[in-house]
Amino acid sequence: MALLPRLRRFAAGLAHDAADGDDLCQSTVMRALEKRELWQPGTRLDSWMYRMMRNMWVDESRARTRRGETFVGEEPGLSVGVSGGQEEAVSLGVIDRGLRTLPDEQREAVLLVMVEGYSYKEAAGIVGCPVGTLNSRLVRGRDALLTWLGDGV
Amino acid sequence: MSVTREELAAFADGQLDDPRRSEVAAAVAADAALAAEVERHQRLKDKLTAHFAPILTAPVPEHLTAPLGGAAPKVVDFTAVRQRRAARRIPRWSWVVGPALAASLALAVFLPRGEVQEGYANPQLASALDDQLVASQASTAPTHILLSFRSGDGQFCRAFSDHVQSGIACKDATGWQLQASGAPSDTQQGDYRMAGSSAAKIMVEAQEMAGGPALTAEEEQAARAAGWR
Repeated sequence: MALLPRLRRFAAGLAHDAADGDDLCQSTVMRALEKRELWQPGTRLDSWMYRMMRNMWVDESRARTRRGETFVGEEPGLSVGVSGGQEEAVSLGVIDRGLRTLPDEQREAVLLVMVEGYSYKEAAGIVGCPVGTLNSRLVRGRDALLTWLGDGV
Repeated sequence: MSVTREELAAFADGQLDDPRRSEVAAAVAADAALAAEVERHQRLKDKLTAHFAPILTAPVPEHLTAPLGGAAPKVVDFTAVRQRRAARRIPRWSWVVGPALAASLALAVFLPRGEVQEGYANPQLASALDDQLVASQASTAPTHILLSFRSGDGQFCRAFSDHVQSGIACKDATGWQLQASGAPSDTQQGDYRMAGSSAAKIMVEAQEMAGGPALTAEEEQAARAAGWR
């Protein structure tokens, strides 16, 4: 399954951290297996799976937002006031924090183009928006990142 | 000439088409500030790529590969894995696939050479290829047919996956000829990733071989009725 490492990478970027990313990745793989009849041979499997993952993440984020209105999820609750772990040190890297400050729509544009290496057209196809929209989200996202990272870039 | 931020970013990404590309290139060449900006974009891209690179090379956790029916995609000796699998019979799945796995392993390991023509599906696989339809196959069947299609030469081909291999077989006068499969003899060292039922990889190969779209359920049924010829 040559795509898996790439899907994990995208999932980790979308979901802010590797553990959530792997959950997302697993759900995407399961969904893709359930729906494999719907995939059209002759189209790109990777774009199809990225699109599926991206849509699942959007659904998940909405659900989280709703949940977040009433109570704090178990995991954030547990980690309140607990820190210093090795993993957190890594996940709180400056780039991760920078990415986290971006709205989802800008983050996915940045990830698809700058990390996954899709063309603007392919990325727009995965997100389901016009190329011009993708382009401007991308620019806003990367400008914000450049500002965040300051002259370190 | 003014260059928008969008255009500059697209230029840095190599996503701008001519003639605009050459115009922006000229503007960047003539303006040190613009050139510095392009460079910042490229450095950002490098930084992001490097940041996520470890995930690409890290081993994929088993809970992610398990649904695909394969073990962790490591390059290991196929025979060793097969023996280990035979020995422990994968406790987690054994209640479903144990008997089928044992049966297919028995076929793979103990089938006397000569009974199956080299490069063709063994009887168990051939019967699945002959009879199973994508739409109606049992989810517990030892062999899962992923899709059927006609190759560029007009042969009927079927992509399949079971617990010891996945591949594509095309029907000819002799039987189901294996076109793409994870047989360990295909690789020198036994690349287990080839042998694992990596459905996605096979789908990509099917895509390359296919002369048209995958068969619909009705077309598949008609093809079966005609003996896949």
